Amino acid sequence: MIFENILGAADALFTIPTILLMILGVAAGLIAGAIPGFTITMAIVLTLPFTFGMTPIQGLATMLGVFVGGLSGGLMAGILTGIPGTPSSVATTFDGFPMARKGRPGLALGIGVWSSFFGGVISAILLVSLAPQLARIGLEFGPWDFFALVMFALTITASLSGDNLIKGLIAGALGLLVATVGSDEINGVERFSFGSEALEQGFSFLPVLVGLFAFSQLLSDVQDPVKARQPLMPPGAAAVRIEHRQAIRAVLSRWGNLLRSSLIGVFTGVLPAAGGSISNILAYDQAKKASRTPQEFGTGIPDGIIAPESANNATAGGALITMMALGIPGDIVTAIMLGALLIHDVIPSPTFITENPELAYGIFIAFFVANFIMVAVQAVCLRAFVLVTRLKMYVLAAVILAYCGIGIFALNNIIFDMWTLLIFGVLGLVMKGMGFPLAPMILGVVLGHIAELNLNRALSSSDDLTLFLTRPWSLFFLILAAFSIFFPWYQKLRGTQKWTLVYPAVMSFSLALPLFMMGGVVRPGLGLVIVLFGAYRLWRHARNGWRLEAPPDHSATLRET
Amino acid sequence: MARLNRDTIAAVLLLALTGVFFSATYTIRKTGYGTVGSDVWPRAILVALGALCLVYLLNALRGVAGAPAETRGGGLSGWFSTYRNALSCFFMYGIFLFTLPYLGMLIGGVAFVFLLLNILGGWRPRQLAFHGMIAVFTIGAMWAIFTFGLRVILPEGEILRIW
Repeated sequence: MIFENILGAADALFTIPTILLMILGVAAGLIAGAIPGFTITMAIVLTLPFTFGMTPIQGLATMLGVFVGGLSGGLMAGILTGIPGTPSSVATTFDGFPMARKGRPGLALGIGVWSSFFGGVISAILLVSLAPQLARIGLEFGPWDFFALVMFALTITASLSGDNLIKGLIAGALGLLVATVGSDEINGVERFSFGSEALEQGFSFLPVLVGLFAFSQLLSDVQDPVKARQPLMPPGAAAVRIEHRQAIRAVLSRWGNLLRSSLIGVFTGVLPAAGGSISNILAYDQAKKASRTPQEFGTGIPDGIIAPESANNATAGGALITMMALGIPGDIVTAIMLGALLIHDVIPSPTFITENPELAYGIFIAFFVANFIMVAVQAVCLRAFVLVTRLKMYVLAAVILAYCGIGIFALNNIIFDMWTLLIFGVLGLVMKGMGFPLAPMILGVVLGHIAELNLNRALSSSDDLTLFLTRPWSLFFLILAAFSIFFPWYQKLRGTQKWTLVYPAVMSFSLALPLFMMGGVVRPGLGLVIVLFGAYRLWRHARNGWRLEAPPDHSATLRET
Repeated sequence: MARLNRDTIAAVLLLALTGVFFSATYTIRKTGYGTVGSDVWPRAILVALGALCLVYLLNALRGVAGAPAETRGGGLSGWFSTYRNALSCFFMYGIFLFTLPYLGMLIGGVAFVFLLLNILGGWRPRQLAFHGMIAVFTIGAMWAIFTFGLRVILPEGEILRIW
């Protein structure tokens, strides 16, 4: 069955126009990812209008090309100039730039490219094997469980988005509120239109998203008049020859690091809303902890490039798993992809893979193939990247602002959408200026309808609110949500206060409870493992006399990729 | 003190916004067919938002809210200096949208990009020529792709329609 689906999807994907579009997408992503201040999300946003006229598989394959290219493109700037192209390649600069300065830029780039490739391929394999399984689990979810999952997605995004949880939660709630404006999806009743005809239909999802994210980002980029008139990057970036053979050898000989980092990447991607900006730093930290020579990290060693680059590319596969299996975006990029799917009248849900096997497996294969295209196109894009770095930010910003407008108009052929773009662009900039993270608001807008729909279904089928606590999956997600709220304090105070020593153990014990409630053998067994893990941690701290440990070198916070 | 004031003002504005929206939930039409009214979910959000805004206000009054972005110097001139480019972009984009029905996407887009490039980059003669070229080429190319390639009918405006 799977084989048939793969063949059917391959037939639709492997056409000359689709492959050409993917190559274009990867090239565009590589260049966009390499430009500091120009994020992958922005590149996907700009690609989106061009996909309207394409078939769903062509459109998604192109956007996946941009996604994979963008994740890999960030390493070029990071390694050659020390300025990461995207937040997902911040940790790459820790060792990539020193290696380049030591006179091995070709090897550093090669290790980065091949780590990205292997990370992407590992996550593509996991995507194909895990997404259908997760979708099967998703079929068990009732509306209570989906509602709790959305709440968890919002709280984890808010807690990872910065040092002020309250502002993150307010942003999330504002996003949910924005999603309620206009005609109610369930009863068809008009809400919060305040007499405006334009507001009767509500805000379109993509103009809000592009306004909040891309528009406000561009305006932040040109805020400093002096920097806006300077070339995108200081001189130093020069086209170099990538040392492929040596790089492959270096990466494969460190397969343990590669595998661990890729798994960290996939796991981070699966978590709703956590993206490559977190996984690259987590993987770097873990590689350093696992190394026999941690003192060498930061001096230009291959392990320091392999970990973040394999992790950030693997995150893409993880994010796609959640989006395709549950219809919950793994990060902002997949939130836009979700929007693209909705434009093509495809609604991801647990039944998506079984009902649309050709498209679902087409996405799997496209993600897999995009990694191969990325390696092939990288060398060409390196030269283009050097040319692009001579551009000035204000030129890029002015042109992209206009392109955003044109693209958003093309969405519904309504000028009001362009006004929405402007209004939310202003709002985004003001919120950023006030220290409010935008990621929770964007997720709030995206997930608002799903939350309301499921709350409505839950309350329509039973007015018993205890079902949110007695259904195992719902309880599982609510426990995760509760602990994610305390996560910023845990992260900040870890190693300085005693309660942080018991926090992971208490979380383990709490999460085991719903797993025990699920019945069967596997899940209670997993619950037992989690309990044992928590008990082991407590025992270790007790053995050390509840001694406080030093905090880690790098803390991970969510930034827009 | 400036930080405290700014967060306090933001919290008060958010509370006011929550109040306005909460009162607007009473104007939402009641239906006889839905089990759960259309006002239930917005009210739940607004209650949570109101509670969060209260905590934010208390934090702001205690001076523990997160630090907002820095501005160059104090007062209105410092604020204007910090946000000059962003304000220019908003203003120009607003003008672009207002004039869109008359100028259309092609002429309006070229004018928007050209003027914004000059405002952000400078008005020297050499720059004017360079900015003009960028505006015509980039918007012209995009307009052609959408109009002829993707068959999207972009606003043509009064001027092109008359011609």
